[in-house]
Amino acid sequence: MSAASLADRPAVVARRSGLHTFEQSRAFSLALLAPILIFFVILNVIPTLWMIGFSFYRYNLQSPTAPRLAYSVTEKGILTQLPLDNFVKIFNDIDLWNAFGRTFWFVLLAVVIQVVLGVLLGFLFWGSAKMPGRRVALTMLFTPMVITPVASGLFWRLMYEPTFGVINFLITVFGGQKIDFLTNNNWAFPAVLFVDIWMWTPFMILMTLAALGSVPKAELEAAEVDRMSFFKRLWYVILPHGKFILMLGILLRTIDAFKTTDLVFLMTKGGPGNVTDLIGLRLYRFAFDSLNIGFSSALALVLLMIAIAFTSAYLWVLNLRRRSEQST
Amino acid sequence: MQSAAKTRLYYGSLWLIAIVFFLPILWIALASFKTNSDILNIPPSIIFLPTFEQYAKTIFGTGEGVSNTIAYFRNSLILSIGSVLMAIIVSFLAAYAFSRYKPKATNFLMFLMLSTRMVPASASIIPVFQMFNAFDIILHHAGLLDKDTTFFRGFPGVFMLYTMFSVPFSLWILKGFIDGVSQRYDETGYVNGASRLHVIFKVVLPQVRPGLIAAFIFNLIFVWNEFLFNFILGSTKTNTQMIPYALAVGLVDSGGNLNWGYIASLSVLYVLLPMVMIFVFQRYLLVGMTFGTVRGEV
Repeated sequence: MSAASLADRPAVVARRSGLHTFEQSRAFSLALLAPILIFFVILNVIPTLWMIGFSFYRYNLQSPTAPRLAYSVTEKGILTQLPLDNFVKIFNDIDLWNAFGRTFWFVLLAVVIQVVLGVLLGFLFWGSAKMPGRRVALTMLFTPMVITPVASGLFWRLMYEPTFGVINFLITVFGGQKIDFLTNNNWAFPAVLFVDIWMWTPFMILMTLAALGSVPKAELEAAEVDRMSFFKRLWYVILPHGKFILMLGILLRTIDAFKTTDLVFLMTKGGPGNVTDLIGLRLYRFAFDSLNIGFSSALALVLLMIAIAFTSAYLWVLNLRRRSEQST
Repeated sequence: MQSAAKTRLYYGSLWLIAIVFFLPILWIALASFKTNSDILNIPPSIIFLPTFEQYAKTIFGTGEGVSNTIAYFRNSLILSIGSVLMAIIVSFLAAYAFSRYKPKATNFLMFLMLSTRMVPASASIIPVFQMFNAFDIILHHAGLLDKDTTFFRGFPGVFMLYTMFSVPFSLWILKGFIDGVSQRYDETGYVNGASRLHVIFKVVLPQVRPGLIAAFIFNLIFVWNEFLFNFILGSTKTNTQMIPYALAVGLVDSGGNLNWGYIASLSVLYVLLPMVMIFVFQRYLLVGMTFGTVRGEV
């Protein structure tokens, strides 16, 4: 049955059963959609348009001058500056490029390490169905990803603490020198990265377990009977089924790591210097410390575009998965 | 019994991994039972006389260095439960319409909704902050609102923001579940003379209960955990500051001292809810952490 005829069916059935005219009308479906659309328009569409508008303005809450367009027109009607002045500034801002670069490395390292660790541990947890106390163990394992980054940032600040922190205590026990992790230029970035890895490796374990769970039992048993080697099994049996969920997990992690703001806000506020200044935090500071609304709107728009690109990739994988499920 | 020993070793190592991931939380929980001076001990004390002093101070204390914990908890509970319920109601209706009437814009709208959750929080709050301020000024000028009260910068605005924050995920998960309910159920209902509303609430709704539960639990956790929106829009006056806010500003007390006892006890009280949720509703963990796009159990 095609999708179109399916879509017509409720209406057809409704007519046959003599439903009230309003309930079978288009208006009824609009009435169902109205509440969500109202929320969406007020809290997403209008703010986004607002932001697009401001991105063409020079508008700083700290400066006494009223907001004005980022370009000016001479008496002869010639543009002296581009309307996209804010975007040009973003493009030319070397600090911002560095923040993007830092974020890129943060995302890359965090995701790669989490995926490797998560997949390995996920395979290890694969046979745990009959483990005693499994539910408690999994709750402990998955807790890091369901607590707010604010709390985990604070937990780790307590442990990284240079004078009485437990990590520095252990370092001195083993004869090392105390390190003030969060104010040390070389250590702050790895220290924050480590916390992100702690928080989100369980997520990749979860996704790996889901991917392994999506492999049909019959095929695994057949591979067992055929005495396939582990790598052959991985390549020919597990990956064809599990790869989509794994890809979705990797994409979700990439998006989330890219969004990281709270964690660095709580742990280092971007310092020391700029070494942990990720793009989300940088944007926050442009908007709410420097109160530069025009410029930060433009930057937020750039990040929105990146988010839309990520979302498209995510839906693309989701569709791939649906298609492969339909074909089998 | 070599294989039994092997199994025990295997399970033992899995438990060890779980405990290693849990250690930082265990450490803060331990600290919350220490006195303020014990927390600063070197070497850190592992065996000590547990005291509930920190909890008593955090929950009941008023005055120096201790904020109004009960109020923070109340705000957190009201805002998260209320806005998530609201989000689930509007998303359920919309998900039904998307699933059954298939309007042309379905895919596009679903895509837009999802992408709003993929933007860094600091990017999405900038225009909302501007807009809420402007709306309130307009309301004041129009005389619809008292000069001293706020609407968008007050409780209703924050409530709406969190509702919208919970909508994308609720919509995605519920549409997935409603798609899974065969249209034959609807048809049987109609043929038997049921109204459309009856079909929606009495035929379809009971069948998507797992989706409703997962949407509720995980949105609750996400709103419970949300910080940046709250940090910018929340205020004591309008009862909109939540616990993450209290944690973020509570480390340094009014005397300028670090107050780890307060942080430890408050964060232990705070992580109880998410932990209990994922313990009780573990089978929804997967669907909950993937915006409803991957279903299955672990």
